[in-house]
Amino acid sequence: MRIQVNDESTKTTATHINGNREIHMTHSNTIKGLVSALALSVAGTAASAQDASEGIARAQEALAPYLEQPVFTAPGDPFDIRECAADRKMLAIPNSSANPFLKGIIDRMKAVGEDIGLEVAEWENQGQPSQWVQGFDFAIRDGFDVINLISGISPDTVVPQITAANEAGVKVTTSHFYDPSDTPNELLSSTLPVGFNEIGKILANWVTVNTDGAGKVLLVVSREVPPTIPLVDGFESVLAENCPDCEIVQEVNVGVAEWGTKIQSSVQSALQANPEIDVIVPIYDSMSQFVVPALRLTGNLGSVKVATFNGTPFVLDYIQEGSVSMDIGESLDWIAYATVDANMRDLCGLPVPEKLNVPFYIFDESNAEMAGTPAQFDTGYGDAYVSGFRELWGLN
Amino acid sequence: MSTSTESATPRKKSNVNAMRLFERYALILVWFLLIAGFSIAMPESFLRWGNFSILFASYAPAALLALAIIIPLTSGDYDLAVGATMTLSSCMIAVLNSWMDVSIELSILLALLGGLAVGLFHALFIVYFRIHSLVVTLGSTSLISGVVQWFTNSSTIGGIDNALIMWVVGGRLFGVPYAFYYAFAAAIVLWYVFDFTPLGRRLLFVGRGREVARLNGIPVEKMRVGALVASSVVAALAGVLYAGVLGSADPYSGLNYLLPAFAAAFLGSTTIMPGRFNPWGTIVAVYFLGTGITGLTMFGIPLWVTNVFNGGALILAVTISQLTRGREASDIG
Repeated sequence: MRIQVNDESTKTTATHINGNREIHMTHSNTIKGLVSALALSVAGTAASAQDASEGIARAQEALAPYLEQPVFTAPGDPFDIRECAADRKMLAIPNSSANPFLKGIIDRMKAVGEDIGLEVAEWENQGQPSQWVQGFDFAIRDGFDVINLISGISPDTVVPQITAANEAGVKVTTSHFYDPSDTPNELLSSTLPVGFNEIGKILANWVTVNTDGAGKVLLVVSREVPPTIPLVDGFESVLAENCPDCEIVQEVNVGVAEWGTKIQSSVQSALQANPEIDVIVPIYDSMSQFVVPALRLTGNLGSVKVATFNGTPFVLDYIQEGSVSMDIGESLDWIAYATVDANMRDLCGLPVPEKLNVPFYIFDESNAEMAGTPAQFDTGYGDAYVSGFRELWGLN
Repeated sequence: MSTSTESATPRKKSNVNAMRLFERYALILVWFLLIAGFSIAMPESFLRWGNFSILFASYAPAALLALAIIIPLTSGDYDLAVGATMTLSSCMIAVLNSWMDVSIELSILLALLGGLAVGLFHALFIVYFRIHSLVVTLGSTSLISGVVQWFTNSSTIGGIDNALIMWVVGGRLFGVPYAFYYAFAAAIVLWYVFDFTPLGRRLLFVGRGREVARLNGIPVEKMRVGALVASSVVAALAGVLYAGVLGSADPYSGLNYLLPAFAAAFLGSTTIMPGRFNPWGTIVAVYFLGTGITGLTMFGIPLWVTNVFNGGALILAVTISQLTRGREASDIG
């Protein structure tokens, strides 16, 4: 496809010079003109090819850190976490306890809490705002020190409750919800944003490298989910920057509640209407459950690449089977350590990290087996963070 | 005078018959017009056998679910739990086969038995305890989905035996994956039972007037139990197809098929045998709605438009049907 684009620029240049020739030039000048047109077009083609290869090189360089086993970076100065956590209680309220990703984080936060002498409790709920409200009441009544809203509860939906908690001396924090570019709700004591924009950039760079700078992309998104906006912005901006010949052929926007009924048919239709699509980016990997059947039915399984984000075990299994090409994951246990670390720093008046310092890691066919067979949450990321945090907290 | 009256009556009758004929096939006509419209607009991509074969296969679970719904609807009961039963069945297959290494054949059998158990559970409360079917099946939807979340650990399960995928979408006949033919076969069976057996007639009588049916010696309770059990078993079969089409199962997505399936059942009752829930009308409705969604998506139109299309088509079709039929008794409403 890159060659076709260059062919068109060649035609444009030639036509322009031919137009001048009819008025001013002699026959020999015509030949000179054509030669120079050819030279210009060749130069244009070469320049374009150079742009593309430079873009691929930039993308490869940007991807490199995410292909290595994650390395621990201290999120702040060392401190005595046991002393800080003594007699303190933390209530974690997930967006929904039915979400195994969030449940996994909280279970591990409880384990970390036991290790450092912090009481961590979960407010079990089914994703209903009325249940979140009850969680705030419980935390205030039961003398908790901090309420941590995990991934998905927008503080804007519980403003009166945050105000009441603050008045009662209970700090309210969020984690894994905002992007660093977002402005957090002012009532929050601290926040631990996740680089959703960064994830979009990783996906764009992966597409650039793995399509030789000429990817024709089908983007599957859920725009009603807040992280989607910075993620898609990151994807689009880096794709435009590093892959000028790449193209987002179609964007399919499906509400989360309709994933089961709409994604498969939409992806099938998009593939039928645009057979040039060679990579699908469902931005949240659970969407793959419906993308893979669409690829199977349209006969594109294995030939159309799938790049996604979240590191959900069944999608890592898909990578091992060859149905999905890559998945960006984060370690739940690492998130749990980082969340407890930041909340303790907040409670003890220490500077809180600007973002959740949990590295993203790319799983593809070369390393998907490290996540286990069948894949498990939290496997394959190494354990560098455990000794790192313990040393930072003075536990070793 | 008498001559003119005699000549007017047949004309009036023939007008009525023409109206009836038009009503029977109006949805099919609109479906063909829709196909023609999309084909003219997108001759390269829409008007291809490959496109239709994929459409036929991917909507097969939805078609089977809509067929499950029309059985108790005909006998006057609602089964709002078909989506949950489909989910239960697909998740049972995934857990048994993928996590517990039970053979795929036995997993399918157990999933169907699960459907049977759900049907008997419904029948116990609806027929024996005489609780309204809406209440019972609404409650069992929540109950089943909670149980499914428990035994799946709320997660998506992949790794279902490839044999099931091959049985459902791997093999093709005339380019169309087998999934479609399973739904088609179910429609033939239902059509035969509804239209050519005394059982089908009794089911209809029970739905139209329970007391009248009882006074005529029809075993109303048995008929209702049978319809509820059949509905749950067919919904479990839809779950088998769903697991085969996806190659995985999750505790949530199947629940969202409930409303489209009901929409298809009601839309289907406006065609082929207007005023009556009928299998061919249901199949036509499922694929009419599927064609609309496919065409609109190919155009790159935002997906909310497809919801407007589905809802608008349903209300319009049922209203036109009702206006055409006047005060005549029907299964709808």
